[in-house]
Amino acid sequence: MMRALHDRLNALFPLGELTEQRPDLAFLTVPREHLRSIILHLRDLEGFSHLVLLTAVDWLEEGNFQLTYLLSNRGKAVDLGLRVMIPRDGASMDSIHDIWPTAATYQRELREMFGIQFPDSPGVNDDFILEGWIDMPPYRRDFDTKAFSAKTFKEREGRMTTDPEQHMKQQLYPDGA
Amino acid sequence: MSVRDVLSPFTAWKNLFRDPVSIADPLKRQAAPRYRGFHQNDMEKCIGCGTCETICQNGAIDMLPVEGIPTKQGDSGLRPRIDYGRCCWCALCVDVCMTQSLTMSNAYTWVESDPDKFRFTPGVDKKHWDDAELGYVRPEGHRLTGELRVHMPEMEPDVRIGSFAEIVDGYSVEQAVLEADRCVSCGLCVATCPTHMAIPQYIAAIRDGNYDLGLKLLYDSNPFSGICGRVCTHKCETTCAARHEGDPIAIRWLKRHIMDQVTFDQITRVVGQPAASTGKKVAIIGAGPGGLTAAFDLAKQGHSVTVYEALAAPGGMTRWGIPEYRLPYDVIDRDVDVIRSLGVDIRCNTRVGKDVSLEDLRNNNDAVLLGLGLQLGRATRIPGSDHPDVRKAVDLLRQATANEDFGTPRQAVVIGGGNVAMDIARTLARLQKTAYGEVRVTLTALEDINHFLADPEEIKEAGEEGVIILDARGPQQVVVEDGKVTGLKTWRVKAIFDEQGRFAPSYDEADEQFHQGSMIVEAIGQMTDASLLGDELTERLTWNRGRIQIDAGGRTSESWLWAVGDMVHGPDVVTAVADGHRVAASMHANLVLKEQSK
Repeated sequence: MMRALHDRLNALFPLGELTEQRPDLAFLTVPREHLRSIILHLRDLEGFSHLVLLTAVDWLEEGNFQLTYLLSNRGKAVDLGLRVMIPRDGASMDSIHDIWPTAATYQRELREMFGIQFPDSPGVNDDFILEGWIDMPPYRRDFDTKAFSAKTFKEREGRMTTDPEQHMKQQLYPDGA
Repeated sequence: MSVRDVLSPFTAWKNLFRDPVSIADPLKRQAAPRYRGFHQNDMEKCIGCGTCETICQNGAIDMLPVEGIPTKQGDSGLRPRIDYGRCCWCALCVDVCMTQSLTMSNAYTWVESDPDKFRFTPGVDKKHWDDAELGYVRPEGHRLTGELRVHMPEMEPDVRIGSFAEIVDGYSVEQAVLEADRCVSCGLCVATCPTHMAIPQYIAAIRDGNYDLGLKLLYDSNPFSGICGRVCTHKCETTCAARHEGDPIAIRWLKRHIMDQVTFDQITRVVGQPAASTGKKVAIIGAGPGGLTAAFDLAKQGHSVTVYEALAAPGGMTRWGIPEYRLPYDVIDRDVDVIRSLGVDIRCNTRVGKDVSLEDLRNNNDAVLLGLGLQLGRATRIPGSDHPDVRKAVDLLRQATANEDFGTPRQAVVIGGGNVAMDIARTLARLQKTAYGEVRVTLTALEDINHFLADPEEIKEAGEEGVIILDARGPQQVVVEDGKVTGLKTWRVKAIFDEQGRFAPSYDEADEQFHQGSMIVEAIGQMTDASLLGDELTERLTWNRGRIQIDAGGRTSESWLWAVGDMVHGPDVVTAVADGHRVAASMHANLVLKEQSK
């Protein structure tokens, strides 16, 4: 089923790698410039009428963000994830809020959590959940959660820890011998 | 504003006296089978390595001692306490856990009125989900740390049997970094190392490519890192956290890698120069690892050290016992030369008791250290064993190092199952291969193959080289015909120890075998030749089961005399190194005290 869909798409668009996760779930990497036409094709001609979610992965080492548009064909109960790689540096992507208005919410979240710009997406620069955030977008992998928390929040009372190596020294050879 | 608006908040007060209408967990709905709920920790498996604490991105885990869980080799005795005020249930702690002791149940409801209760030690603080079967465990094949050791390239058996060339290649920089990367730096190994080397730290130095730092860390605790990098008994690897779910880190090979990467000048620069002269003089008898480690420490502290060695070159058993294919002589030379660079005077071919008297050493020095080693082979005392072609392994190994021809037999039988037995069997195998083109060595040991004292790799490699290894065979008689040794008669061993655990082998006499050989080699243990002490001093010293009695600092009952290494602690290089440090500290403290009381 997914394979057949892939073959039909492949005749029309240049496609990347296909990962068949389950019989009813597959992921397909597509070039960013073709994303919009592939989405429209899937929505209007293949029955993928629903945007389940839009999310991102930070491939820090490769210098990319991966955007995953998860589309659902409700009639056939299958999901297809479209993956798009965009450069991490100055990350920006075309908005699809005109295709599915709900995309605006996901794009607003991605702007806040990953710092990915979606020009012209309604309200994209409004705070989403991080009101008054002043640090780097926290879902970026170079954001150090622990260091941020240490400098921002008070440590809870009663915390203490022990280094195994030093503890074993104290217990087993206290005089160093 | 109406009156009702003003009064209505007060009417709500009546609810204060009613039972709550909310119901605790009305559905009792079970979470998904692999739900990441509350933590479980199997106390039998947890080793307190703290890797869960290290990986936790929220700083939610503390390692703390727990009553009733003692610290022992390979287990810090600490256990992780988790603060659910910080935990985000990401399960990284479960994924990284080195023993798979840490898991998550699929329990997800927990009601308390005291928020501090949500900080708990799974497996110690009893919880209703402790025995829950469903929940999250690390999926099969999902590993955050490398499971398998980077393969160490070595010479093939048919190539290495033709010479005494070193077998093991050593890691390249790339291989060493990959292997170092498997280490989680928990530090459980440090307590096991007799000299407590900074193992996680020097492995990290390899990862960072900082060989100067690595070298400094090695020399902080072990001036025989070149030698130990090749032949250490590497007990550290038996307590490595990685061994529970894969291979232990190749700690010994990583140490060797640092020493292989650095030059002699780099070492002497890192070791530095001795402190200003104290004017104190120390004589050390025996240039083995124990004596020379003490020499290294004492020279660094500014004492004048002279080492007297009976044989032609320093190194002790590392040179005269361990064969070259395991430990090349230039590695020994380099370690020793670093010690010489501190001004230590090593006088070889100088036998105390013959070339110089112990009395003179006592009179001309402020302190004397005995590092005699274990150079005499023990005898089986079986019938026929007084024949000249029944030899001691240590003697033959010494002759082999000196390149002396001891008459390589066409067929030999070795008695013993320890590393020395393997060393002589493999040495004879090489000599036979060179002289006669074929290997004919039989090795018989009292122990069954699973209880051999030799390292497993020694047994494996000896077998690969054509040595026939027979286990559970007790030597009964050396058979001599027409004045010539023809072989060894053995019985099958039923038990080595009696019911009280004493050494008293019992045999099945019906199961007798004859092993052909024109030379029989005894490799059943060593003892110290302490004859240089002379009758009078031997009499004055306190002894304990054949060994000189010493205090914690290695001092004998004579205030001027200390003892170090194998002769007091049994055969092991790194134990001798640790002992050398201890004894040097005791001697130094005493020399300083002497100076002050002047």
